Amino acid sequence: MIKSPLKSKVDPRDGKLAMAHLYVAFIALLVGGLAGLLQVLVRSGKFQLPAGIGYYQILTVHGVVLGLVLTTFFIMGFQLSVVSKTAGTFTDKQRTVGWIGFWIMTIGTIAAAVMILLNKASVLYTFYAPLQAHFIFYLGLTLVVVGSWTVGAAIIMKYAEWRRANPGQQSPLLTFMALVNTLMWIVATIGVAATVLIQLLPWSLGWVDTVNVAVSRTLFWYFGHPLVYFWLLPAYMVWYAIIPKIIGGKIFSDSLARMSFILFLLFSIPVGFHHQLLEPGIDAAWKFLQVVLTFAVVIPSLMTAFSLFASFETFGRSKGAKGLFGWLKKLPWGDARFTVPFIGMVAFIPAGAGGIVNASHQMNQVIHNTIWVTGHFHLTVATAVVLTFFGAAFWLVPHLTGRKLTKKMNKLALIQGSLWAIGMTFMSGAMHAAGLLGAPRRSAFSDYGGSAQAAEWIPYQIAQAVGGSILFIAIILMLYIFINLAFFAPKGEQEFPVGEALHPEEKAPMVFENWKLWLGITVLLILFAYTIPFIDLIQNAPPGSKGFKLW
Amino acid sequence: MAKAELKSKTKTEIEDSSSLKGTLASVFFVGFFIIVLWIGVYFLYLDRF
Ligand code: HEM
Ligand SMILES: [Cu+2]
Repeated sequence: MIKSPLKSKVDPRDGKLAMAHLYVAFIALLVGGLAGLLQVLVRSGKFQLPAGIGYYQILTVHGVVLGLVLTTFFIMGFQLSVVSKTAGTFTDKQRTVGWIGFWIMTIGTIAAAVMILLNKASVLYTFYAPLQAHFIFYLGLTLVVVGSWTVGAAIIMKYAEWRRANPGQQSPLLTFMALVNTLMWIVATIGVAATVLIQLLPWSLGWVDTVNVAVSRTLFWYFGHPLVYFWLLPAYMVWYAIIPKIIGGKIFSDSLARMSFILFLLFSIPVGFHHQLLEPGIDAAWKFLQVVLTFAVVIPSLMTAFSLFASFETFGRSKGAKGLFGWLKKLPWGDARFTVPFIGMVAFIPAGAGGIVNASHQMNQVIHNTIWVTGHFHLTVATAVVLTFFGAAFWLVPHLTGRKLTKKMNKLALIQGSLWAIGMTFMSGAMHAAGLLGAPRRSAFSDYGGSAQAAEWIPYQIAQAVGGSILFIAIILMLYIFINLAFFAPKGEQEFPVGEALHPEEKAPMVFENWKLWLGITVLLILFAYTIPFIDLIQNAPPGSKGFKLW
Repeated sequence: MAKAELKSKTKTEIEDSSSLKGTLASVFFVGFFIIVLWIGVYFLYLDRF
């Protein structure tokens, strides 16, 4: 790398902004973890919520706070940090934009959370119409999205400044990756913004009586699938560009990493129908087209798997490893910054395989709306992504607060990761199995009038409660580690690991930085995949639906 | 005899240090896992629908 702006430390002013995001994220972990524990206990059939609290209210808290708040805030904080580290300190103006975004997101989060806690918005985190929440809930969500655009603007401004200052050069890998994720997020959130502002808000305010349900769900999933890639790409940043440094190895290929991120930008969005395969009103041919595009995302995923194995093997062999799998023994298993994300990577193997089943058009009928789906995304987001975020927090938090990860905390972190692995094996494994037996997701305990089939699910629900309780202990441990790293760990300098490429002389082609080209193709693919189905959904719409409040 | 032994040893070492055969085996394992799970659910599907 020529003329690298790589600073040894993230500027404390940027660190503060990033930490503000992380505080919100970890408060969300506490609240959401508690809700998760209550859910598995209720679903075991041995416990009832006190004081008339509804199961679906708790489930809404859990989904919103973990699926939307924890993830978005952590990602924004993380991306601000990597950009500040690799492209240089934010200017005062950029940082102010970042703070404004943070406060808009936070106010929106509080507004939505208050409405959920007042039991005025038990619509689950997908807020599907015709379930109708209080309008302040939708307003809060709008603010979260607008705030995230504002934080994103700070990242885009920094990137643009870097490019102006370094003409003709490729941007630093981590900045490039953060930018791709930001652009994907902005394109994707236009979908939720549209359904919330055009459909749900006016409808919840009583300005219009009915809503076109199919259109709102389609707009939601136009956003919903890239949402999962928005969670995943920061984890990939850690896997591609940070873990190699932690183990003492090299990034297998800088160009391959950039190319896979570009492919994610192109193929993450025009695929939302794979969540609507069993919905009426969408022609099977268009569903099939989006299934094909979905399978295109498998390519960069497998490229990632290859690249990670290759960087581990190259490292192990450079340390003299022999045989087919000798390199595995050379990896630093005692280092939680590596091992905890590694558990996440392993979880991503069954998670990805399950995803391929889910997306296989007709086969979706086997698992649709069963608890298998919940088992699936607790492997993807709640293990692969979350454990990678935890693994990053082990060095990021002390780096930003001027402290050090001690041996003792490292050990606790390893225990935390192992407990998560054990708890999730039970919970997610039992969810997958029960789902194949037909057990529904998003359902409180019921014996379904003594049905024999429902009785088969109960042992699996007990197993989920056991696994979920272990997971809750792991969450408490994680919060203890976070608080220690943020406030109590000894002062010192914790390294911010940034990997270097195995062959730094091999420059990635500059075409990767041609955003007109990539955003252009993204938009074309979206128009191709969605235009005609949307016209159909609007032109041939059934009568709209009034709002329902089922809680 | 001794000479031949020496030769074959150096050869494997060169092969070993830059080889990615473990990576190949690993990605094959991932592919195999995907196929097995997919076929399993496919037969469930055929059985039920
Ligand atoms: C203590 C750890 C956790 C436990 C015990 C737990 C448990 C559960 C259970 C039982 C459900 C499904 C309930 C139902 O469908 O009726 C669920 C749903 C969900 N969980 Fe978790 N979970 C945990 C952690 C997480 C984490 C870390 C995330 C995300 C980062 C997460 C995200 C979600 C989401 C998005 C849903 C879907 C909610 C919905 O269907 O509306 N969970 N969780
Ligand atoms: Cu999806």
